[in-house]
Amino acid sequence: MPPIDLRCILRETVSAMYGDLVTRSTGQAVRCGVEQVLAEYDGEQIAVIDFTGVRLLDLSCADEIVAKLLLQHGRTRPFLLRGISEDHQDVLEPVLERHGLAAVAQDRGGKLRLLGKIGEQVRVVFTMLAERGAAGAGVKDVAEHLAVPTATAREVCDELLERRLAMADAAGGQVISLA
Amino acid sequence: MTRVVEVPVHFDHDTFDQFAGAFGEPKDERLLFDAHATKWGSPYGLVGLLAAGQWLQEQQRTKPLLTIPNDRDVAHYWARTGFFRNAENFFELHGKIPHVSTSGSSDVLLEVTPVRGASDVHGVVDRIQDRAAAILRELGLQAQATMGFAMALSEACQNIVEHAGTGGWVAVQAYHWRRRLGRRVAVIAVADAGVGFRASLESTQAQRVGDRWSDAAALEAAIFQGVSRFRDPGRGQGLLGMRRYVDRWNGKLSLRSGTARLSIVPAWDDDVPMADGLPEFPGSQVQLIIPAKLTN
Repeated sequence: MPPIDLRCILRETVSAMYGDLVTRSTGQAVRCGVEQVLAEYDGEQIAVIDFTGVRLLDLSCADEIVAKLLLQHGRTRPFLLRGISEDHQDVLEPVLERHGLAAVAQDRGGKLRLLGKIGEQVRVVFTMLAERGAAGAGVKDVAEHLAVPTATAREVCDELLERRLAMADAAGGQVISLA
Repeated sequence: MTRVVEVPVHFDHDTFDQFAGAFGEPKDERLLFDAHATKWGSPYGLVGLLAAGQWLQEQQRTKPLLTIPNDRDVAHYWARTGFFRNAENFFELHGKIPHVSTSGSSDVLLEVTPVRGASDVHGVVDRIQDRAAAILRELGLQAQATMGFAMALSEACQNIVEHAGTGGWVAVQAYHWRRRLGRRVAVIAVADAGVGFRASLESTQAQRVGDRWSDAAALEAAIFQGVSRFRDPGRGQGLLGMRRYVDRWNGKLSLRSGTARLSIVPAWDDDVPMADGLPEFPGSQVQLIIPAKLTN
């Protein structure tokens, strides 16, 4: 699936005159635009939502777009928020936390980070996976990294997978980062 | 019969209650808003005055009179903010209105602007960002303060669109606040003549709060618990975001609705966190102040 450029969606669904993602009604229109794109692709593909062209994001719009997309589709499809600036992050963090959600974000330098409500062990493993890239990690690697029993490591991996914050490799033995 | 509503000499957040008291509960009489002696009108005062005029119009009262300030500098300042251009829709203006350009004034970050729908909010945040970045740099704040400022502005305006049930007004200015702080400040002022927080939240909160339900309780619920009239749990985040913003940049946030005013008070100010039993005034009024950073 090609990345979904929010600036383009904004232009197509609301107005070419606007460069900012503000207001609930704008957020609702943009989310509908994103959902139309998602409907064309099967649910296993990562949906890359590109914020690079977005200057200002306010809380209401972030709630309508990101939180509602994750609430409605986040259990069945992985999402990657790309091109996230520090300003976007400041807005997205409280919005996600309010709903008990978490999302994978990639800043403009390519660095991955987790936003929202997430436990410390999951965050640590997420960082390890981001560093390992395509190689990923197995439960045993995670157990060693966290210095915890295998059962605990498996729970952490399961949480990452269930919340679509990472994915399993084709063989199913390794957990790998979304990017 | 005409009743005089005196506009305070220094017409700002601190004297707004005096103005609200003079406004009272208008009956069938015609009102004369007397600003001839006014020496200063803050953005908060100006948008509040427009809200009063708007309320009277929506109540189908006789168009009120407004005498403009005698002080030439004050009248020029009000003109530069775009106040008169909007006021003539609601008031019969008396006095000489200065003809000045409203664009390019360094202290007026955003002229007095009507907010009626989402497109107005887009227009406001689009216009504010470059100028806000320059002003906030002057105030010694990091670049990150700019986006937060625009975000807070957007959320404050959206409160009108989402909750007031009518239109409202916004103005953003920077000025040297000699009387209180002795520093430059950037100020967002938003006012509407709508239903206010209490009526907006009544259906979801009144029963829960019980006998304590009041304007003050409604303001507390909105700003501390982030509740909204909508049952969607994602609603009500705007005021919380504004609160976080003023906390981060040592600012002050003040919300007035009905007979109460709730403020997030920084160390540099001596306002009370909650003022209750104030003179009734229609709608809601919001002020956000970001002060210049202290330098050694």
